[in-house]
Amino acid sequence: MIRQGDRLLAFLLRNATAFLFVAAFLAFGVQAPAFLEPANLLNILLQSSSAAITATGMTFVLLAGGIDLSVGSIMFVSAALAGKVVLGGGSLALVIPIVLAVGIACGAINALFITRLRIQAFIATLAALYMWRGLGLWITRTRAMNLPESLLQVGTARPLGIPAPIFIFCAVLASAHLVLARTPVGRQIYAIGNDREAADKAGIASGRVIAIVYIISGLCAALGGLVSVAQLGAVSPTFGNQREFAAIAAAVLGGTSLFGGRGRVFPGTVLGAVLIQTVENGLVIINANPYVYPLIMSAIIFVAVFTDSARHARLSRLSRRYIRPWQAAARRVETANSGEEGKQ
Amino acid sequence: MDPQVEMNRWKRLVVSDYWVLYLSIACFLVLFPFTPRLASIENIRNIFSNMLPLLVVAIGETIVLITGGIDLSVTSVIGLSSVIGASIMSSDQGLLAGNPAAAAAGVAGMILAGVFVGWLNGIAVTRLRMPPFIATLTSMMFFGGLAVWLTQSRPIYDLPARFIELGQGAWLWLPNSLAVAGVTAVFAHVLLSRSLLGRWIYAVGTNPRTSLISGVPVNRVVTFAYAASGGCAAVASVLYTARLETGSPVLGQRILLDVIGATVIGGTSLFGGKGNALWTVFGVSFICLIDNSLNMLGLSYFVVTMVKGGIILFAALVDAARSRILAG
Amino acid sequence: MNEDMLLEYEDIEKSFFGVRVLSKVSFALRKGHILGLVGENGAGKSTLVNILGGVISSDAGHIRFQGREYTAASPADAFRQGIGFIHQELNLFTNLDVAENIFIAGFPVRRIACIPWIDARAMRARAEELLGSVGLAIPCDTLVERLSQGERQLVEIAKALRLSARLIILDEPTTSLTARESERLFTLMKELQGRGISMIFISHNLGDVFRLCDDIVVLRDGLVVDAGPVERFSENRVISLMVGRSLDHYYPPRATVPDGEVLLEVSGLSHPGIVEDISLTLRRGEVLGVSGLMGAGRSELARILFGLDPYTRGEITVKGLRMPSGPPRAAIRSGMAFLTENRREEGLLMEASVADNIALVCLPSFTRTPSGLVDSASLKREVSGAASKLRIRSSSLDRQKVRTLSGGNQQKVVLAKWLLSGPSVFILDEPTRGIDVGAKHEIYKIINDLAGRGAGVLLISSEIEELMGMCDRILVMSAGEITACVERPEYDRERILRFALGRKPV
Repeated sequence: MIRQGDRLLAFLLRNATAFLFVAAFLAFGVQAPAFLEPANLLNILLQSSSAAITATGMTFVLLAGGIDLSVGSIMFVSAALAGKVVLGGGSLALVIPIVLAVGIACGAINALFITRLRIQAFIATLAALYMWRGLGLWITRTRAMNLPESLLQVGTARPLGIPAPIFIFCAVLASAHLVLARTPVGRQIYAIGNDREAADKAGIASGRVIAIVYIISGLCAALGGLVSVAQLGAVSPTFGNQREFAAIAAAVLGGTSLFGGRGRVFPGTVLGAVLIQTVENGLVIINANPYVYPLIMSAIIFVAVFTDSARHARLSRLSRRYIRPWQAAARRVETANSGEEGKQ
Repeated sequence: MDPQVEMNRWKRLVVSDYWVLYLSIACFLVLFPFTPRLASIENIRNIFSNMLPLLVVAIGETIVLITGGIDLSVTSVIGLSSVIGASIMSSDQGLLAGNPAAAAAGVAGMILAGVFVGWLNGIAVTRLRMPPFIATLTSMMFFGGLAVWLTQSRPIYDLPARFIELGQGAWLWLPNSLAVAGVTAVFAHVLLSRSLLGRWIYAVGTNPRTSLISGVPVNRVVTFAYAASGGCAAVASVLYTARLETGSPVLGQRILLDVIGATVIGGTSLFGGKGNALWTVFGVSFICLIDNSLNMLGLSYFVVTMVKGGIILFAALVDAARSRILAG
Repeated sequence: MNEDMLLEYEDIEKSFFGVRVLSKVSFALRKGHILGLVGENGAGKSTLVNILGGVISSDAGHIRFQGREYTAASPADAFRQGIGFIHQELNLFTNLDVAENIFIAGFPVRRIACIPWIDARAMRARAEELLGSVGLAIPCDTLVERLSQGERQLVEIAKALRLSARLIILDEPTTSLTARESERLFTLMKELQGRGISMIFISHNLGDVFRLCDDIVVLRDGLVVDAGPVERFSENRVISLMVGRSLDHYYPPRATVPDGEVLLEVSGLSHPGIVEDISLTLRRGEVLGVSGLMGAGRSELARILFGLDPYTRGEITVKGLRMPSGPPRAAIRSGMAFLTENRREEGLLMEASVADNIALVCLPSFTRTPSGLVDSASLKREVSGAASKLRIRSSSLDRQKVRTLSGGNQQKVVLAKWLLSGPSVFILDEPTRGIDVGAKHEIYKIINDLAGRGAGVLLISSEIEELMGMCDRILVMSAGEITACVERPEYDRERILRFALGRKPV
């Protein structure tokens, strides 16, 4: 019989993000009613677009059981290159293709190191983090680039009446969701994250699928960078700093497991990204000490990762083979039914 | 039977204990024609003094890597430590301002802070079963943020002379910083090669399951490794803070790349079970040589950053190749 | 090249690390027949089918499948050629649903705008068809996570049928099933047979084998001792063939008789799903055997005794002191030692030297207390002493990595490691598995020596003959319980095997 306390804990942990949301709204709303105004809420959505796009790409990588620490630097180098081209007289229409191409290229190089040369994902992407940042700093000569008005217009445009950043973020989200839920590659990503060995045995081209997730991550990082630049109007030398951390945090908060095979882009990762932005926005509105922000963020991330690790440990214990299955069968099915979120 | 005999010369070179030393010498010889100043006494002394605090941090990182983990929080420990120490020691607003024991208390406080953060990392990895890189990454963010928040991003000045002596002074002909780094390296070497704990550290990194069954207190060993890493980072912070004569929360922000690069290129394996103090010394000297020589060649900070990133990749490749060669 | 023959093995051979596992194995399987493959643990059954399933390749010999020469480069390759393999450890993805698991490597797709989309309707239809054909009445969008073991197995079979497999291998399919689930499986097998699908059925349950199979192949020590239609055999005959009237192995004579002092006492030890009500005593100088088939719970029991896994009820007492539920350090301190069944993953530090491995357990006793430094000189002496006493053949104890030693020498390294700690209760789990004959005898002498010096030995083994030669008493386990205790005068191979084969409750 599952202990009542165990069940309660499982419920709390499973819905941690929802609780944090409610807590944040209460905490900030009470201290500063301006927080709850529609204009502010729209602002939160706008501000979280870039992070949500980047986090979506990160979700792909995490689902397959990998990690990408270079997304912040990819954001930076693609924005830097695009900015350079525009400032050098290139047309605005070139910006998007360049940004996408750089993102894909960086992602492909990561993929090469990880799948072909078999370097561990975190060290390969950690090295890439430094390499791309260095490249970006070289392109910008470590100076901030102020981008032309025309680019800012992209940020304020309203296709179909929706602000551009939100439009792009929805488009990315929809595509990601469709790929993960409705294409063979998408389902294979989940399979690889669940059990790489079984995936290889089943005949899945794991190397190719893993390469694809890193390319998608690079692409989303670049796109997220573009959306961010369009709102800021400038690329500073610290642009994209530590964004990989925010992306991982958003994904994990949204229920994506660091151990692979579990997580959803919608509602999961999106909620995570919006939650993070909500907290940041709220802290600004209540005039909190800006230095408190990283403390709160890391505490939130800690809770999210701890939840993930605890759940993973519990599941590993439950999936052991039983010598006396009839004694264990009832217990196992009961736990499975009480603990899990349903279709991935 | 012995695999060494069957390998060809290149493979033997790569697996050798001193291969990074050879690599350093090779680089030196290659770069020397471009910058003869590389070999000047002054420059060598420069390289050396940059090496020492980095070596201390890298030694702590080596211990963690041998257990099969990684510690990404060392840069924040340096900053936090610096701030805590300065808050105790500073003649301006410090807790023990003017007290003759201020320097000693400050140093003690710094090291305690480092060990404490390391201990927390260890708990997260062993008890809470969080993956080491994310646990220490979160630590880095939290304690780095904590250091900045404590000081409201303002550095702390007016550190006692006795403390500054520790980093900048010398006893007879021996610079204090060299003594500190040397003692740390020797201590680590003795720990790893001759002590019970050292043997346990290697065993856990090689195979934690076998170690557990054979009676090794795996969780305690791993927690110790992280605590040691935090402690080493704190000792390095003493050197950095004394050199800068300021308690700064962002001290050490830039050295993560160097620390990881140095330990990995030195030969400590990311897979665990392999590494030692001597290799790390070679690795640190290689990184500092590269840093110094590329700077002398006039290459900018960002190019150097890129090169270092490339070095980490190269080191990881060699590490993987070494594992493959030795596996036969 | 008989038209009727679906599968023919000709003189298949296979060795692992120099130890011969299959020798000139030949047999044939007709279309639409079910072949029962029986043999004791280690007889070579899994190896035989793994070659067919593309998991490993044979060293010599030929396989003909559907009239043509057959090789499989990988499990996926075997699958494509029409061979389905239902392993004991199921290869399902728990985070996906049934239909996705079935089609994971070959989704039905529709191309829209150059992108392949999963044709959900076609997938669902085909999945329902396949599930129907295996008699599994669940919605095909059920997550595998929520299925029972029996249901998951049926999904695996449905998966195998996706590409119209002509031959399905079932490796010990009933071990994790309840009796009802087993019945369902058997009904399905008969039905598949009716559709012309052949099967290879590996099981230790001879009753099931006789019920289902048309032909039987009996393996012993990698050789086919007999094969033919099931009518030619009886259960008794099969058991004696499995066990064999092999040459009596020489087991060193036992010099001591166990005396009174009880070293290990276990009473009512239980952990739901693993072991049930285990009670035993082990005395000084006694070698107590534990027999049983794979999956009987012997290793699990050993792990619980040593403190690696928890237990919920019962008591473990070592030399009069109650043992807590772990950690292994506590067990070692009270005088226990545990040689695990997989030395490569749990017994050795493969990348470390022979000397480092041998020293691992007793390191604390060679540590000078205030400094924490190891007295390497005397440790080295003890280690070389242990190595030479056990006749470990190594070129250099300090430099040679354990990975490069032969299986027998590796096992001796693990033994030396534990012997240095001077244990009073030594648990050995399959100590002679995968080891050449010479090394086996040396290990038997070591075990006798241990008992002779007053230790108690718990010997877990799948070789009944080995247990009969070495032990004073033999406990037999089945499905997590002790089903019998056989004393020396009653030793009989077939009797013990019967106890091991046991019966499962509903």
